[in-house]
Amino acid sequence: MRKSFESDIQHLKDELLVLGSMVEQMTLEAVDALKKRDIDAAHRLYAMDAQINARRYAIEEQVMVLIATQQPMAHDLRLLASILEIAGELERMGDYAKGICTINIRMGEEPLLKPLIDIPRMAQTGVSMLHRALTAFVNEDVEVARSIPQEDDIVDELYNQVYRELMTFVLRDPRNIERANWLLWVAHNLERLADRVTNICERTIFTATGELREIKASDDEQTSGSQRLSQ
Amino acid sequence: MNANNDQYVLQTRNLSVYYGDFKAVTDVNINIPRNKITAIIGPSGCGKSTLLRAFNRMNELVPGSRVEGEVLFNGQNLYAKDVDPVEVRHRIGMVFQKPNPFPKSIYENVAWGARIHGYRGNMDELVERCLVQAALWDEVKDILHRSGLALSGGQQQRLCIARAIAVQPEVILMDEPASALDPIATLKIEELMQELKKSYTIVIVTHNMQQAARVSDYTAMMMLVDEHSRSGTVIEFDETHKIFTRPSDKRTEDYVTGRFG
Amino acid sequence: MSRPNIFEDNLPTRQKTASVWQLIFLSATVVGIIFLSTLLINILNSSFGYVALEARVPPETLAVNGVPLEELPKEELVRLLQEHLSSGAFNKLENEKPFEKRSRSEVYDLVISRIVKYKVVESWNLFESLFRADEIRARVAEEFPEAELRFMSWLTVDTIRRPQSSEALLAGMRTAILGSLWTIVITIIVAFPLGVSAAIYLEEYAQDNWINRLIRTNINNLAGVPSIIYGMLGLAIFVRSLEKLTSGAVFGLVDPTTANGRTILSAALTLALLILPLIIINAQEAIRAVPQSLRRASLGLGATKWQTVWWHVLPNALPGILTGTILAVSRAIGETAPLVVVGASTAITFDPTSPFSKFTTLPIQIYQWTARPQGEWRHLAAAAIIVLLTLLLTLNATAILLRNRFTKRF
Repeated sequence: MRKSFESDIQHLKDELLVLGSMVEQMTLEAVDALKKRDIDAAHRLYAMDAQINARRYAIEEQVMVLIATQQPMAHDLRLLASILEIAGELERMGDYAKGICTINIRMGEEPLLKPLIDIPRMAQTGVSMLHRALTAFVNEDVEVARSIPQEDDIVDELYNQVYRELMTFVLRDPRNIERANWLLWVAHNLERLADRVTNICERTIFTATGELREIKASDDEQTSGSQRLSQ
Repeated sequence: MNANNDQYVLQTRNLSVYYGDFKAVTDVNINIPRNKITAIIGPSGCGKSTLLRAFNRMNELVPGSRVEGEVLFNGQNLYAKDVDPVEVRHRIGMVFQKPNPFPKSIYENVAWGARIHGYRGNMDELVERCLVQAALWDEVKDILHRSGLALSGGQQQRLCIARAIAVQPEVILMDEPASALDPIATLKIEELMQELKKSYTIVIVTHNMQQAARVSDYTAMMMLVDEHSRSGTVIEFDETHKIFTRPSDKRTEDYVTGRFG
Repeated sequence: MSRPNIFEDNLPTRQKTASVWQLIFLSATVVGIIFLSTLLINILNSSFGYVALEARVPPETLAVNGVPLEELPKEELVRLLQEHLSSGAFNKLENEKPFEKRSRSEVYDLVISRIVKYKVVESWNLFESLFRADEIRARVAEEFPEAELRFMSWLTVDTIRRPQSSEALLAGMRTAILGSLWTIVITIIVAFPLGVSAAIYLEEYAQDNWINRLIRTNINNLAGVPSIIYGMLGLAIFVRSLEKLTSGAVFGLVDPTTANGRTILSAALTLALLILPLIIINAQEAIRAVPQSLRRASLGLGATKWQTVWWHVLPNALPGILTGTILAVSRAIGETAPLVVVGASTAITFDPTSPFSKFTTLPIQIYQWTARPQGEWRHLAAAAIIVLLTLLLTLNATAILLRNRFTKRF
């Protein structure tokens, strides 16, 4: 039954994974370029965002066609709605990576305020979460989808650490404020990326069970630093 | 009498319908809410129409048919000994799959039912009101004497609806009312149903799932009891949006996503 | 890319088969039409033609003062009658109907029948008369020098109007036509409601059990029973057992000329019995043909079974029922055998006046006329056949008109 529809959906999932891996790659490389202050790489990565956007639109269009022609119901409908949502999330994540490249480019010849330690760790953790979240989505693994948002705490913790560290630099010498701000923005983008992974996990649970709820909303309220600064 | 009577017009209690030895519908327990549209969906041959007909005892027209269990209409068992099926069909009207106007004038089509029930009011007014309610008045007001069969399929079906409401039923049963119509006529019927549910309770059998999803408030999902059986039952009854977005029964899920069978 | 041909190239063969069958069907129709035309031509052929008449008293001799018989006034004609008839016979005529009240043509007819007394010595068919007129004239001149050769139409208003008579030239069909009409009307009155009611019961009410299946099968069989059997049944039941009823005795209406049950009523009841199965079967078919959806529509509105049958099933079945009835009545009107058994009279000269009258019918009259040895009766029979056919057509046309009226309403 509905063989062509099934294969269309499988194709969409593959497309989503491809899009995800592009975002992962772009994020890691953007942070790496920043660490190495490689502006050429930053320019190259900056261009990657356009590809990500194009892929996202392609996915969106295919979903629309499927909805229009196949009248998906129940699970299929939730899956397609989730794919639409997740493609949007991934595109936003790509924007964060692009933002990191922008900062890298704007910093120009100026050196980093400090060597990057926690920020690459944030990037790695976030990308790892993203990777596993997408795998969980494709497999509709509710267990994994529920566990991944817990790891957001790690990212938040790293973020707070980066924040405190940069604050000491600023307090020591207010002239550092601009360079500190740049790095804070990078950390902030990575923290947002990890937050959006949580949204992907929510979609996974929704697709599999039909429940649409925010995961660990209470924890979010308490992570004061991120809340305050992400506004 | 129980407290739910106001909320539910029709309630079935372990309803099973037989044709001779063949059990067509098994153990149905659903409550059909007042002034709502309830859709009955399911694959062919699972007893949707049979269940619908059991609601106004039309199934009795098939020789050898009988029911077990109860159908409560406002709390009263329709199959009780002292209940006259003629009266049941007066209170619970029916619209059929194929438009079947009487081979009479449009006016007579609407007026006849009221007349045989001894309607004492102004017949012209009644005919007009019913045709207006059926969203047909503007199209036929100048040709009321013309044969009902001269109308288009969609108009004929609306005429049948006007005819059904002329006897002032509480419930209108619709057996795939739009399956013989084109999409535009279908949409008109569906819009009409939304209007009608303000005054009537509607139960509709359809195998067009999109139609059920579009028009109904509640949906009853029917399926064969198991693979080896030819008898159907209601496997899930819930609000329509739930049935179509997150059904709780795997079989409903498979059916509404088109992976049935 | 060409696909492999897995089909035989047989289109020409198939087309040829098709044309052959079409030809066969056409020929069958043509054969039927030929038979029918032959029948009609044969009848028409016998209904008109030359007759050689010999008069006992030649009309020329009855001319008074040079005025030919045809132009004599009424008084002269009455005088002629008085002259040529015995006084007893003349008085009898006067007693039947005074001469003052008789019209001139009536009196003229009396002169022809009582005095001139034509006799047919030889008769010819239409085609002979048309194509071999000279031959006929020569033969008449030679063989019957006394005879008058006349082209005669056996079918005239007079032959239809006149009652039966023992003289071919004076015999008419009125008695038989009236007998047929009486019989058929009573037959319809009895058989139609009975048959339709039975059909309604069997189709709409009867359960599908073995008794009803048995009844249905038997009705179908009854339709095939030879009509003479019905005649015997009618004789046993209506003529004998129910004699008091069929003779009208129970109503005190006994016709003085009949004291037994050999009446129009008996005949009509027998015919009704005969066509009842036909009407039932046809009405059943018609009722069955009413779409089930119509019944459901009606019942779904809360109509009772009776309301459904009366307002929807019957009106829609009526055209079919009427068609069936036409066929059945057409059969009844042409029946001879059962009526002979029931006791149709063959030579009555007075008109039937009530269901309790003795009777004859057109087919019986035809049968009886054709059985006579003299050739002139055959001509008369042919004329009667034309009348019978016309009667049949009229009845059918009426029924068809009636049916179309009902059909148009929807």
